[in-house]
Amino acid sequence: MIDGLLMLGGGLAHFMTPLSLFNIAWATLLGIVIGALPGLTATMGVALLVTLTYKMAPDQAILCLMCLYSGAIYGGSRTAILLSIPGTPASAATTLDGHPLALQGKAGTAMGLATTSSALGTMVGIIALALIAPLLAEAALKFGSYEFFWLALFGVIISGQLTAIDDPLKGYIAGILGLLVAMVGMETLHAYQRFTFGIPALGGGVDLIPAMVGAFGFAEILGVMKRKAQARIVTSGDRVIPRFRDVFAYKWTTLRSGLIGTFVGIVPGVGEDVGAWASYAAAKRTSKEAHLFGKGSQEGLIAAETGNSAVVPGAMIPTLTLALPGSASAAVLIAAMYIHGIRPGPLLMTENPEFLYQIVAILVFSTIAFTIFGLFLTKPLMTVLQVPRERLMAVVYVLCVVGSFAITQRLFDVYVMLFFGIVGFLLREMKYPMAPLVLGIILGDLLDLNLRRGLALTNGDPTPFFTRPISAVIWLIIVLTILMSIPPVNRFVRDLFTRNRGHASAKG
Amino acid sequence: MTTDETPIPSEDSPQPAMVRADLLTGLMLIVLGLAIVYASWTMDRLEVRRIQPLTAPGLVPGILAAALTLCGTILSFRSIRTPAPGGWRDLSAAVTSGAAGRALAVVVLALIYTLGLVGTLPFWAATGIFVFAFIMIFECWLATPRRPVMSSLPWALGLAVVTAIVITLVFERAFLVRLP
Repeated sequence: MIDGLLMLGGGLAHFMTPLSLFNIAWATLLGIVIGALPGLTATMGVALLVTLTYKMAPDQAILCLMCLYSGAIYGGSRTAILLSIPGTPASAATTLDGHPLALQGKAGTAMGLATTSSALGTMVGIIALALIAPLLAEAALKFGSYEFFWLALFGVIISGQLTAIDDPLKGYIAGILGLLVAMVGMETLHAYQRFTFGIPALGGGVDLIPAMVGAFGFAEILGVMKRKAQARIVTSGDRVIPRFRDVFAYKWTTLRSGLIGTFVGIVPGVGEDVGAWASYAAAKRTSKEAHLFGKGSQEGLIAAETGNSAVVPGAMIPTLTLALPGSASAAVLIAAMYIHGIRPGPLLMTENPEFLYQIVAILVFSTIAFTIFGLFLTKPLMTVLQVPRERLMAVVYVLCVVGSFAITQRLFDVYVMLFFGIVGFLLREMKYPMAPLVLGIILGDLLDLNLRRGLALTNGDPTPFFTRPISAVIWLIIVLTILMSIPPVNRFVRDLFTRNRGHASAKG
Repeated sequence: MTTDETPIPSEDSPQPAMVRADLLTGLMLIVLGLAIVYASWTMDRLEVRRIQPLTAPGLVPGILAAALTLCGTILSFRSIRTPAPGGWRDLSAAVTSGAAGRALAVVVLALIYTLGLVGTLPFWAATGIFVFAFIMIFECWLATPRRPVMSSLPWALGLAVVTAIVITLVFERAFLVRLP
């Protein structure tokens, strides 16, 4: 415990240099702008910024990427409130109450509350990160090939299930497609080249960054340009800095939403949007002002914003300790960490324990930065929202090309970006979620290697995959998740529960 | 985790066009899945190296492709069984709509820029031409209401020059990244 606090102090002190503070300021501000601009998402921003941080020192590079990530998730709320368009998918739930508040002439209040609740949500997540991550890392040291195989599968399945709630089948398909993409190239057990079709560039497999730039950058450009009209900004001149009692009045909603967001963040590949929806739903169920939800409820706005921001630190928990990305942006962060020679995973706490606390410190600093920018830079941020998309998207596409080229300097990666952009756009149009696809690409190798390594260790006997205690828990969860996504089974279980509850209330 | 009250926007009855699109996707996934199953089955099992047969490189792709085929089959069956009046008509309308046309225009511009201009012209020139063409096409031709050419022209020219210079300088000089 004392060790942890000392290392946290060390982490905070580590970034108290002018260069770090400068990087925190511009990266967070850039994040807010990217988040606020509709069509530019956090994942896209992080994927494009990897190129720029390529030559930086590892700690500064991760600092910039994390600040951009957390700034962008917050920045999306601005657009949600003023334009009724979520700036990033994470703020979709914010539009429900944020925009009605703006229409009632309380745009300032809404922006202020969104800022403070984002900050508080991140803080709840940061505390959880500092407390849970070391414990999880220690537990993960006991994981072997068997457990890692199931964890990889669990990540893809749960992400498929929760990011496509209407239709889990499409989530699974996206996940499987991602895993299959990861099968291309040299496999690590016997060094055999799979599905390369004689193309030398495919030997190294499909790189994550160009694929992400395509699926989250180019596909997003296509999606934005497809739409016809641009929305009108609704604003008012009321006070932005919220009163203490307004924030304090919803302390339990804030805490609950923060915890829900953190938990959603921990679940692999399930990101900020689900965090916001889940805490919004929970707040609506327990709120005294449930009838106001969707019509400009401050509580609804607070729940959504706290929920999505808490996902950011929450997502770092599995990312750092298990190398399972907690969200799509975290997947890019993993790729960036590898580029800078940092290996996330169970050994991180043994090899590089300061790093975890540096991440905690970065998140604290970026929270302070976005709170200051959010409360005091209202006007300049408003002008950002008025940039016409035609002009913006042309420049963004150029950045997509540069971003996918720069890391390995191959034009092949630019073609990968184009391919994933077009396929990603078509899949999105048909309501396939992108997060499981990305998770599949990053976890495919882990899944393949650990399944076959496990089978090699036991000489072909699959029993340990099912009988080792942790393995058993994970595969049971996977089976239950899949079963529950089959409509007749789901209906049957739900009926069973409602009937039981009906009996109980009849008896009572 | 979610219940009926979850405010996720969902339509009770799926859109007919989507149902039909699912059928097409399902069939494509079946074909893709079967092709990968075949490729995995016939993949070298490295018997010469005497590896444990269950660690053959084709094992995991084979299993995944089988799962993909299964999902594709379920998707297709579900689509066939869901009534979708006017689904094909809606789908072809969606594919030929103005929105699809605008997306196609972006793809064409992006392909010309990436496959044609980058590599043949210097990067700054290719970028300038692309940004200029993109803004002009989307503001003066594919927009409703269209903007007059004279009001977009200065913006398009200015942004094209600024983007070309700034991106080239920032990446090559400040961040020491090579450009295509």
